[in-house]
Amino acid sequence: MSFVVAPQTVDEAIAFLAANPDARPMAGGASLVAMKNARLIEASHFVSLARIEALRGIGPSAAGGLRIGGMMHHRQIAECADLTGGWQMLRQAAGLIANRVVRNMGTIGGAIANADPAADYLPVLACAGAEVELVGPDGLRRLAVADYLVDWYETALEPGEIVTAIELPAGGDGPSVYRKLARTPGDYATVSVACAREGAGPDSSVRVAVGACGPAPIRDRDAEAALAGRLHDPAAIAAFCATLAEQADPIDDVRGSAAYRLKLIPRMVAAAIRDVTGDR
Amino acid sequence: MKLEGSFPVSAPRPVVWEAIRDPGLMAQCVPGCEMAEQIDDTSYRARVLVKFGPISARFNLVIEIEQEIALEEVRSRARGEEGTRASTVSSTNILTLSEPEPGTTLVAWSTDFSISGRLGKYGMGLMRKKVESLSAEFVKAFAARLEESAA
Ligand SMILES: Cc1cc2nc3c(=O)[nH]c(=O)nc-3n(C[C@H](O)[C@H](O)[C@H](O)COP(=O)(O)OP(=O)(O)OC[C@H]3O[C@@H](n4cnc5c(N)ncnc54)[C@H](O)[C@@H]3O)c2cc1C
Repeated sequence: MSFVVAPQTVDEAIAFLAANPDARPMAGGASLVAMKNARLIEASHFVSLARIEALRGIGPSAAGGLRIGGMMHHRQIAECADLTGGWQMLRQAAGLIANRVVRNMGTIGGAIANADPAADYLPVLACAGAEVELVGPDGLRRLAVADYLVDWYETALEPGEIVTAIELPAGGDGPSVYRKLARTPGDYATVSVACAREGAGPDSSVRVAVGACGPAPIRDRDAEAALAGRLHDPAAIAAFCATLAEQADPIDDVRGSAAYRLKLIPRMVAAAIRDVTGDR
Repeated sequence: MKLEGSFPVSAPRPVVWEAIRDPGLMAQCVPGCEMAEQIDDTSYRARVLVKFGPISARFNLVIEIEQEIALEEVRSRARGEEGTRASTVSSTNILTLSEPEPGTTLVAWSTDFSISGRLGKYGMGLMRKKVESLSAEFVKAFAARLEESAA
């Protein structure tokens, strides 16, 4: 038997979690309720974050970028008109999650806490250079996605800590794109790629992150630097794609074999780069 | 699921042999191990917490030594279940020691491992990754313990 409590502030939620070590935060319940019903997890209490005003909203961050509250639903992110240019990919990713029901229930904070390696936000946030904001009994910290994701399904979240927000740095003009290959629409990705263009001139570059092919998205800033100014050079692009594929550590699962994923990576990365350069 | 690996430790073979048969020391090196004790000459009991995503499963394990060649090889079998019986694990394991050069022991291990119940839902591909990262953690802790007691 579990009880649901619904604190009004982050501090109250943190205090409740600290006092009840077997309690769990609950966002929209999209995954949690299914896991509970399947008796995969148990909890003394579910601490619903739904009433906490501070976890809502999408707006400017103190650092001059964008701040997205942890309780923002996928649908709200998919419909947010401010997500253009370099942030467009985030909108696209949110709109490709699961189906309408899950997009109405599920939240960005819940998806990030769950840290499914195939989750659509993760490569986008890695590509954007986003930080995950965590608040717990010891205060607030912000971690880059690469530091937040520790291993397969393992994050830096400490017991009693919650994801309060995601902060994106200024996005640039883009364009940016999110490409998802899934067995059927609404399934988790077999492979996904987020790609954003930096600058418009001859020496412009791209940021690229590959999802669902390892415990965390794959991003290689050195390879991105080497590709700068060569976005129309097929040999340079092929080398870049090969470098990312080499860093992948995919698994065999129902969505595809590891070997299949390794084959998809170069094609999808090259296609995403063409999307943002306009080459065909 | 079969997995194997090997790793060197900067300690002579008798030291490593003693260490792998010391439940107190092993408990400090096995990730998530909360308790380990010897029941009799050939069996041990341990409690291990395995965390996978939002799932935390606490296994009560019984480890039986089936065959032992002093300083060289241990064959064992482990079985365990969660208190709630939502998951079970079992494995057969072989551990061999060799000393390719004096003062360095090579520990080679292999296991044939199965898991059912709620952790089984993640599938074998992912389980393999998890076992690999847990064994890497063990190797690090174990090598550090032995090297510090050798120093
Ligand atoms: C049928 C189905 C299909 C899906 N398909 C996709 C897909 O294609 N792509 C994709 O990316 N995702 C997919 N998802 C996941 C979905 O995106 C949800 O975001 C995810 O399930 C989390 O849901 P939630 O936000 O309601 O969190 P909950 O279900 O309430 O919680 C999930 C977990 O996170 C913890 N938690 C929740 N919020 C926080 C927080 N703020 N801080 C700390 N811990 C927290 C909870 O304790 C729990 O362990 C799918 C889910 C379902 C059920």
